[in-house]
Amino acid sequence: MISDVSFMNNIDYSMINFKLIIWILSGLALLYIIYPLFSISTFVEPSTLLTSLTRPEVIDTFVLSLITASISTMLIGLFGVPLAYCLSRYKFQGSFLIQIVVIIPLVLPPLASGALLLGVFNPNSELGKTFPEIEFTQSVIGIIIAQTYVASPFMILASMVAFDMVDKSYENIARVLGKKNWHVFIRISLPLAKKGILIGFMMTWIRAIGELGATLMLAYNPHTISIQIYEDNAIGGLSQAIPSIILSIFLSVILILAYSLIVKKLEGSSIHQSMFSFGVSGGNK
Amino acid sequence: MTLEIVNVTKTFPGFTLGPINLRLSDDMILVLIGPTGSGKSTILNLIIGLIKPDTGSIYLDGVDITKVPIESRKIGYSFQNPTLFPHMSVFENIVFGLKKGDKRLKEPQIKRLTESFGISHLLNRKINGLSGGEMQKISLARMLVTEPKIMLMDEPLAHLDNITKNKLRINLRQILKKEGVLGIYVTHFEDDVYALADSVSILTNGQIKKTDTLRTMLSTSSSSNRSLSFLSSSLSPSISEFFQGDYNYLEGKVTESKDGVSAFKLGVHRFEILGDYQIDSKVGVLIKPEDIILSLDLVKTSARNIIRIMVMNIGNAYSKPGILDIHLVIDDIHLMSRITRESKNHLGIKEKEYVYAIFKATAPHVVREGKYDAVDV
Repeated sequence: MISDVSFMNNIDYSMINFKLIIWILSGLALLYIIYPLFSISTFVEPSTLLTSLTRPEVIDTFVLSLITASISTMLIGLFGVPLAYCLSRYKFQGSFLIQIVVIIPLVLPPLASGALLLGVFNPNSELGKTFPEIEFTQSVIGIIIAQTYVASPFMILASMVAFDMVDKSYENIARVLGKKNWHVFIRISLPLAKKGILIGFMMTWIRAIGELGATLMLAYNPHTISIQIYEDNAIGGLSQAIPSIILSIFLSVILILAYSLIVKKLEGSSIHQSMFSFGVSGGNK
Repeated sequence: MTLEIVNVTKTFPGFTLGPINLRLSDDMILVLIGPTGSGKSTILNLIIGLIKPDTGSIYLDGVDITKVPIESRKIGYSFQNPTLFPHMSVFENIVFGLKKGDKRLKEPQIKRLTESFGISHLLNRKINGLSGGEMQKISLARMLVTEPKIMLMDEPLAHLDNITKNKLRINLRQILKKEGVLGIYVTHFEDDVYALADSVSILTNGQIKKTDTLRTMLSTSSSSNRSLSFLSSSLSPSISEFFQGDYNYLEGKVTESKDGVSAFKLGVHRFEILGDYQIDSKVGVLIKPEDIILSLDLVKTSARNIIRIMVMNIGNAYSKPGILDIHLVIDDIHLMSRITRESKNHLGIKEKEYVYAIFKATAPHVVREGKYDAVDV
């Protein structure tokens, strides 16, 4: 370590053009992101693009993805935000373990998550036998189950950090002022953590839209947009998958714009700050 | 209204508070003074319920509130940091503690309090951009509007500049008295005691060393000097290090006020101070020992306050080599002058002899204003 430092100290920095190096590295990074987006044109005939885009199965998968991701996000919000609040506010023996557990779906390969879910929800499982009338697999319900499982860490982590950043003095003062826990949660904790929670919603939704691995295992049918791309590519090659890819790019741009508008409205901070700092709208920390 | 703290203890790693025993009643203001880390804020947190005592109980009007949730205690708490809700306007902050139906009913009270604190013009403002003083006034008004039985204040003025702090402190005492609220004010500044206290508790190392009324404390503090610094040295060496005797406190009845200069009387003695104060009202002033000069003869000087006074005692000023504290007394007036050893030798000042104590009308610093009470004389 010491030798590393002395090595760094011995470099004659005046000989290195700082700006030039930074620009070259930045340019390469940018090229890596942009080039695949433009490479689409090499796989598709402009004359047939519109017809391909309006193929009923492409539209259907696109709409199905939007609907299922929205439902999944709402469900994760309903249960994940309270869980995040618990983890942020109540420290008990084992709370650290729970924090690790909620991150598992984020770290686990999505296919593995799907396999685990299949074990729980297949028609021959305890749950499947208890509720035989409910199709947990190969159904819209299956898609939602897969999406909620893999996307939940985004909501829980973002909300937890947001609640952590709300100064507890605000909650204490609200209680001193005679307000009970529900009132304090709704009038103080939630509004002050609002920005982080909304970012959690956004990231969860984005993750749910792009979900493939767990859905492959649990609900290959009906097709979401990710599965449609996967299948089109497998059957007809990249050129057949292009319409769904274009719709995905289109959706990404819309999402990023919507997200930046929300962030701007909330506090005027930049999209990068918000996405990675999970800042709250509170003042004194 | 009575608050009783009975045998309350609380142990943290490396620190034990208590056992604490305190009894406060009516609309008195208790100033709890002690060095940083002596356990002052912990006592407030125990009373409000933010932390639970290991042993002992807290009673409010005879009812044990030790296990009552914070929101049901009807006790106000003002933190060092104003802690205004940043997502609400000033008005929304002030009415936050009121129930829906109460907002209209309490309009006159809201108006009265916001006018008393001088914040009526801020009601529609957002919290961002307010000054520290404004925020603290709003925070205090927000608490008082809920009509708490007791108001706990944890150095709420500590971060303010001296001018704002002094104005707000005078204002705060007047408002607490007007609203009839029992107050506990925590501080480590000696001047807060003179400005706010009816009673004083001196706390060190988690123990209350003494509790009494300010008047009793000052009158029994010593034969030579009426300030807490002298009293404290008899309690514990660690406290005398804390109170270094930075102030003389005088309190009297205003007899004249004209052209920005007022005079108040303390017994047969008359003192002039800057500022217009209501005739027959009471003022309490602080004078720094360094501002009182001594003379053997009655000299012609621009200074407006000259008093012939006996040298009671000459001692070394705490941790100031070469500086002496000259304790002076006449009738009911006790003063301390801080001069160099060289000056004392040059003038030949001796104990039990008379000198002239001289200070300008600009030296006294008014920290308390109020209704004159005959008992004060």
